[in-house]
Amino acid sequence: MLPVNFPSIESFTRLGEEFKAAFMKDLRSYIRYPAWLVGDLVSTPLWFFFFAVGVTLFAPTTQTSVYHGYSFFFFGFIFIVLFSTTIWGTGQSVRNEQMAGTLEQFFLAPSNRLTLILGRWMRIFITDILVIGYTTVLLYVFGGGPLSLYEPALFVFALALYEVGSIGFGLFFAGLTMKLKSYNTLSNLVFFGYMILTGALFPVTVIPMPFRYVSLAIPFTYFIDLMRHAALLTPTILPMGFEYASAILLSFIMLLVGFVTFNWIEQDARMRGSIATS
Amino acid sequence: MGTLGVLAAIFWKGIKHYTRYPGSLVIYLMLPFLFTLLIFGMGRFVGGGNAALNFATRTGTSNVLVYEMLGGAVWMTGWVVVEDVGVALRDEQMKGTLEQNFLAPVNRFTLLVGISLTDIAITTAIFLIVVGVTLALTLPGAYLAFFQAFLMLLIGLIPLFGIGFLFSGFVIKFKEPYIFTQMVNLIFGTLTGTYYPVTILPYWVQFLSAVLPQTYVISNMRQIVLANRTLVSLYGSIFILLALALVYPTIGYLVFKKLEKDASVTGELSKY
Repeated sequence: MLPVNFPSIESFTRLGEEFKAAFMKDLRSYIRYPAWLVGDLVSTPLWFFFFAVGVTLFAPTTQTSVYHGYSFFFFGFIFIVLFSTTIWGTGQSVRNEQMAGTLEQFFLAPSNRLTLILGRWMRIFITDILVIGYTTVLLYVFGGGPLSLYEPALFVFALALYEVGSIGFGLFFAGLTMKLKSYNTLSNLVFFGYMILTGALFPVTVIPMPFRYVSLAIPFTYFIDLMRHAALLTPTILPMGFEYASAILLSFIMLLVGFVTFNWIEQDARMRGSIATS
Repeated sequence: MGTLGVLAAIFWKGIKHYTRYPGSLVIYLMLPFLFTLLIFGMGRFVGGGNAALNFATRTGTSNVLVYEMLGGAVWMTGWVVVEDVGVALRDEQMKGTLEQNFLAPVNRFTLLVGISLTDIAITTAIFLIVVGVTLALTLPGAYLAFFQAFLMLLIGLIPLFGIGFLFSGFVIKFKEPYIFTQMVNLIFGTLTGTYYPVTILPYWVQFLSAVLPQTYVISNMRQIVLANRTLVSLYGSIFILLALALVYPTIGYLVFKKLEKDASVTGELSKY
């Protein structure tokens, strides 16, 4: 997988060039279809509005901490946008090449497979940030109130851990696309599982007890908890130092597991001749 | 082969597709439950111990599950129609089989109605399973209400198919259906009161809600199941639905024919 003389300066330069090429390729595709950008710009605030109005029915008539509640849900939406990147960005990168019939050409080229996936991840991460920024401003203009962000540095650190873990998860999913052709069903189920179980939109304490154990076994629960703690100073699930240590460990384990699984599935698919079956 | 034979062939083609790839049907069946679970979880967090009481104050019913599931089930039927009728011809474009279909001695209207027939079967299955399970668990004796709610759905499907015809024309013309259908489904979910009464939306948004058939279907189903109203007593909104059932398919088919004709002149019919 890695260049022969890895880790030399040349190999890093080459990886960088491959990564840039993969990023530019995905960016060009995205720009070529402006409907995708329009869809992102319309859908993201609309999803927020859709859920927010639904939840309003349950809210007390005399709400005292409107801004905190608003920030809580808004960060929930950020976590959802980030995870959609993992599932439909990183995870689906291989599937997209399969469907376009270009996966074999790519795998035959003398380049690293991971650059295809990471290039796509980077493009989507950047467009996600732009869409999140646009949605924040839009909701502020429509009276949504300002967002709280008490510990920006810690938030960025927790976000970095989330992204490292999500790249690992995305690699695992990208590998699965070579195994499973009905990818959409699985990705939708995982996506909803994430929204319901990880505390993205409501604290895990709301989840009834036997199911809460499942939530506590999902690494994303802790990344989300730490980001929300950094943003809103909400209490953490575990003692803070222990939770940070656990999150660091989990993010790197996820990256490693994703990398190993992707390689293993790719090798298996090569032997079976199932790499490009769509 | 007569028109009935053509309709049957298109119908079975669609059903075979669903049975060959059951994942999409599974998703349609699960989404109403998952969305309801999400909204309920968020609502519990916001409302705490009084969440159900606050909900009842605003909607007139404490039966959160039935209220939300009826909205979710109707939303999914709209989702199926937009995804299937709207995107079906684009799928043929992508497979390179659209020209063969259009060259066959089959009326375009028959083609669209055939696709719609498959969706009547699929949406019926979704409704019977999703709403049937929900009512069996929460209101076990409500057979008559369930039957009337199903009739309500069938009336609402006619204008919905008209909207589907409209989209299939747009999709042939503008391509990129998936972003388009995602946005449309989300707009439908927001405007038609899927998880809330449309009366809490701003006045100008309610005007948009009023031209969508699902708004009446969801509202009437809730009246029938949760407020013991009958279909007959809801004749006013049923009359509006029947009017929409005339307007949408007519406009939808005319727009489809116009855009299809334009595409055949410019050679865009089979372009990726």
